[in-house]
Amino acid sequence: MSCGTPVPDTRKADDEPALQVRARRTTPRIADMAPRNRTWSPQARSIRVVAMTEPQRAHIEVPRPPDFDEFWTETLRLAESIDPAPRLIERPDLSSPEILVTELRYVSFGHVEVAAWCARPRATTGPLPIAMHIPGYVSEPAILKSWARRGYFAVDLAPRGKLRANAVVNPGFPGLLVDNIVDRYSYTYRGFYLDVVRGIDVLAGLGETDETRLGVFGSSQGGGLGILAGALRPDTVRCIASGCPYLCGIADAPRLTHSYPYEEINEFLRIHPEQTTALKETVSYYDVVNFAPAVRAPVFMHIGLEDDVCPPETGFAVFRELDCPKELATFPGSGHDAGQPGVQQRIEEFMDKQLGVRA
Amino acid sequence: MSFWTELDTELAEFPARPLVERYERMCTERFTGYRVWFSGLDGHRLFGFLSVPAGEGPFPALLETPRHGSVNNPPHYNDRLRYVTFTMMHRGQRLADVPFAAAYPGLFTLGVTDPRTYVYRAIIADCLRGAEFLAAHPQADPARLAVSGEDPVLHTAARRPVFRAAVVNTPLLHDALHRREHGESYPLEGLDDLLRAHPERETAVRETLAVYEPAALARDIRAEVLLAAPAEGPGWNGELLAALGDRGTVYQRGEQDASDARAIDAWLSGRLGMPGMARFAS
Repeated sequence: MSCGTPVPDTRKADDEPALQVRARRTTPRIADMAPRNRTWSPQARSIRVVAMTEPQRAHIEVPRPPDFDEFWTETLRLAESIDPAPRLIERPDLSSPEILVTELRYVSFGHVEVAAWCARPRATTGPLPIAMHIPGYVSEPAILKSWARRGYFAVDLAPRGKLRANAVVNPGFPGLLVDNIVDRYSYTYRGFYLDVVRGIDVLAGLGETDETRLGVFGSSQGGGLGILAGALRPDTVRCIASGCPYLCGIADAPRLTHSYPYEEINEFLRIHPEQTTALKETVSYYDVVNFAPAVRAPVFMHIGLEDDVCPPETGFAVFRELDCPKELATFPGSGHDAGQPGVQQRIEEFMDKQLGVRA
Repeated sequence: MSFWTELDTELAEFPARPLVERYERMCTERFTGYRVWFSGLDGHRLFGFLSVPAGEGPFPALLETPRHGSVNNPPHYNDRLRYVTFTMMHRGQRLADVPFAAAYPGLFTLGVTDPRTYVYRAIIADCLRGAEFLAAHPQADPARLAVSGEDPVLHTAARRPVFRAAVVNTPLLHDALHRREHGESYPLEGLDDLLRAHPERETAVRETLAVYEPAALARDIRAEVLLAAPAEGPGWNGELLAALGDRGTVYQRGEQDASDARAIDAWLSGRLGMPGMARFAS
């Protein structure tokens, strides 16, 4: 089941009827976006009643701080001032005659070294399109051999805190979501977000990749941060497949669910109720809903209408804010799987089409 | 002495020495949360989240065995309302990763060429220790104990026959050499990586995995067992189903995981005399 607003795509011919897209407008970079004045409202607190029956109608409030753009411009500047010094280390123990597996290491925000698994077909020469996956909250990055077999330089990131990237920053699980959540400057997700952005920069600069064909995909945390990636690197990210996006409507979501990771916020505020204002202030800088308008790449989003982990209300909220070619697939009866395994084929077809891959 | 009896004997040499600490952020009016540190084989310190419902017990109790992966979520709110829950981490996972931290990929094949060195010998012992801890909890009703998780649930239920019901969410060790042929995903892909580099080790790997095959222990299980079969790919083979006999029921997952979760929750809660609870819109 799909919904969306069909508007002609002015950039590319699109003969796929199921792909309902909106024309791309000239969307400014994140730093140029005009701030919107949003406030917490009493209406937002009544969301639970609406949510159970019509999640698409729920009103999710995400205030946008007046200095949102300045904060992220400065954060990007700090990250970009650090040489990522990427290293690709071959892993013959994980490779096969058809697929070469390497471990990528690079230096990110705060001089923290993070990692990624890379897999590519051995037989193909020349720059390869990039399929970059961002892992979920409790997941470790995978080695995406099936994507490599289909012709991609396939990457799965290990941002800080994930194994192989937790020597310096290790907030633990549970714990990442609320680690330093009362201060936007030291919130652990600040570096985590930049690990994703710098991963894109590094991948685009590898000689064996085609920087003009980079797509991002993932579910949950990967779905949310795919949107973030498209907003902060609009000139590089060419398409985004986003499943059940997390980190959207962060302040509202814990009232909609008792499932982790959002339950971490409920638990944190249970023992630190005096920090409610500071917490909401911090997460407003990190809410993917506030990044969504800056995305220019086409987005395919899929959500489960009974998702207890990332409530569908929040998925609809971020989808509404996207002002790019977009398609939403919704799945009644689905929870956090968001239509998997059946939706996987649509994800692959979307990525292949946008990146010109004949798998 | 059988392989598993020998493991029991060895585990018994290491007292659990549990340290239970109230965890304020996981406490509400309706349940009390605790962090638990306890010892397993070789004295490795393990970890678990314990939660006890408010009110007068005893309560039905649920052991959640660790999944394959670095992280396990704490017990879900809905389960804490109904059960004494104990969600444990095995050695190598977050919160139980000193001095041994598991690698992913890597853990699944660690020591797999010998049943005595295979890492799952210690991991299953960890699960057995978790079962002992929960069964001994004064608020846990001994007539209403259950266990859920991946297929080490079956080893746990076989070696600690205290459970009334067992839910197996997905195969892990079961039929692994056969299931690895259906895809390139880890952890099973780790077997391919190993055997590609060392084809001469295939017999040893096969012999080890035969020891850990849940079907080999299934006749000792007294609990009613629900085996959830994956929506795609191989599920549970006839050998396991035959060994379980009328104690085993297969639940075939479809493409609606929320519906599946409701059905599985209803099966388990029904056997423990509690109401089913949907996680969505709870």
